[in-house]
Amino acid sequence: MAQFGSADSALRMLYNLAQGPLVWVAFILFVAGSVYQVTRLLALTRKTEAHRWGRTPDAGPLSGTRPADGLSGRWTARLRLSIAGTQPLTIGVTVIFHTLLFLVPLFLLAHNILVDEAWGFSLFAVREKLSDYLTWLFLACALFFLLRRMLLARVRALSSFQDYYILFLAAAPFASGFLAYHQIFDYRMVITLHMLLGELMLVSIPFTRIAHMFLFFVLRFLVAHEYSLGSGRRVWR
Amino acid sequence: MLDRALTEVAASGKTTAVDTAEIKHMLDRHKAKIKISLRACVHCSLCAESCFLYTSHHRDPRYMPAYKFIHSTGLLYKKKGKVDRACLEKIRDIVWQDCVLCTRCYCICGIDIPGLISLARSICRSQGVYPDFTVSGER
Repeated sequence: MAQFGSADSALRMLYNLAQGPLVWVAFILFVAGSVYQVTRLLALTRKTEAHRWGRTPDAGPLSGTRPADGLSGRWTARLRLSIAGTQPLTIGVTVIFHTLLFLVPLFLLAHNILVDEAWGFSLFAVREKLSDYLTWLFLACALFFLLRRMLLARVRALSSFQDYYILFLAAAPFASGFLAYHQIFDYRMVITLHMLLGELMLVSIPFTRIAHMFLFFVLRFLVAHEYSLGSGRRVWR
Repeated sequence: MLDRALTEVAASGKTTAVDTAEIKHMLDRHKAKIKISLRACVHCSLCAESCFLYTSHHRDPRYMPAYKFIHSTGLLYKKKGKVDRACLEKIRDIVWQDCVLCTRCYCICGIDIPGLISLARSICRSQGVYPDFTVSGER
């Protein structure tokens, strides 16, 4: 726990807020907002008979034919035809970025110590050196996305302030956490900033474009369209 | 007869006021889908290569599926249907000229881009804004 001098009463108050009630506010808003978004999305769709686009259901001379949709055949061919085959670098960075976004905070030693002190249990924690390397890797991925958005005309054509904002929201807690752990700059200020940024990110998830976190799964797996990954049994009302 | 009807519609569309209430009503029927699609779109541009018009027009970003749906149905939604004829004509050019509704566009987030483009076409048609296929002097 950080020790504060008497001269920093405002910072102390902010610190107490950030590590106290604001944590609850952030998690409650995150969970409630996410549940609301998902249930609203499901309520706006309805179940229907499963329908696989491009597949002929009735028996006939061509019923054994697999459609040339890139979803059948050897996995190497499917991979080559998929978005991972046509945009390997971006998809690779995306997978690493999103995996680390979830796993690094979850298995961070400092976070698990706090959870253990609060609730008496925690997940396992990885070594701090490994967390450091993974944080660097994550920030490198974030930098890739930033440069991609700024330099590629096709991405720039679609970009708005919110796109830069959500990238900042995702990367800033990692950067500030790294600075706090290594006690670069004033620790008290940086750790307070880290907590506030993390809480801001959590609160923003259901109400900004970061909601793609769960919209992706509903739209790709449940809603019927040609590229559904799941049964695609839901259609819009 | 069809040629004459099309010409009349195209001509009448140029002088008739836009019924913004009707546009709003059409948007409201699909409001949830539009809103969620706009929110789910993370502006990644990974849909670009799935559009043959994009690849055949020297990778002009204006032919990206995401660009097309954001600047047609997305624009109508953001303006709550309060658009003028000039705006509808720009949307007409996007949804009929820049898109042929081949439905080959692929969205990593599962957004139904052809459905949204089709909705924009319906809205334009409801206001008499069509592509003018008739050429003066030809039947």
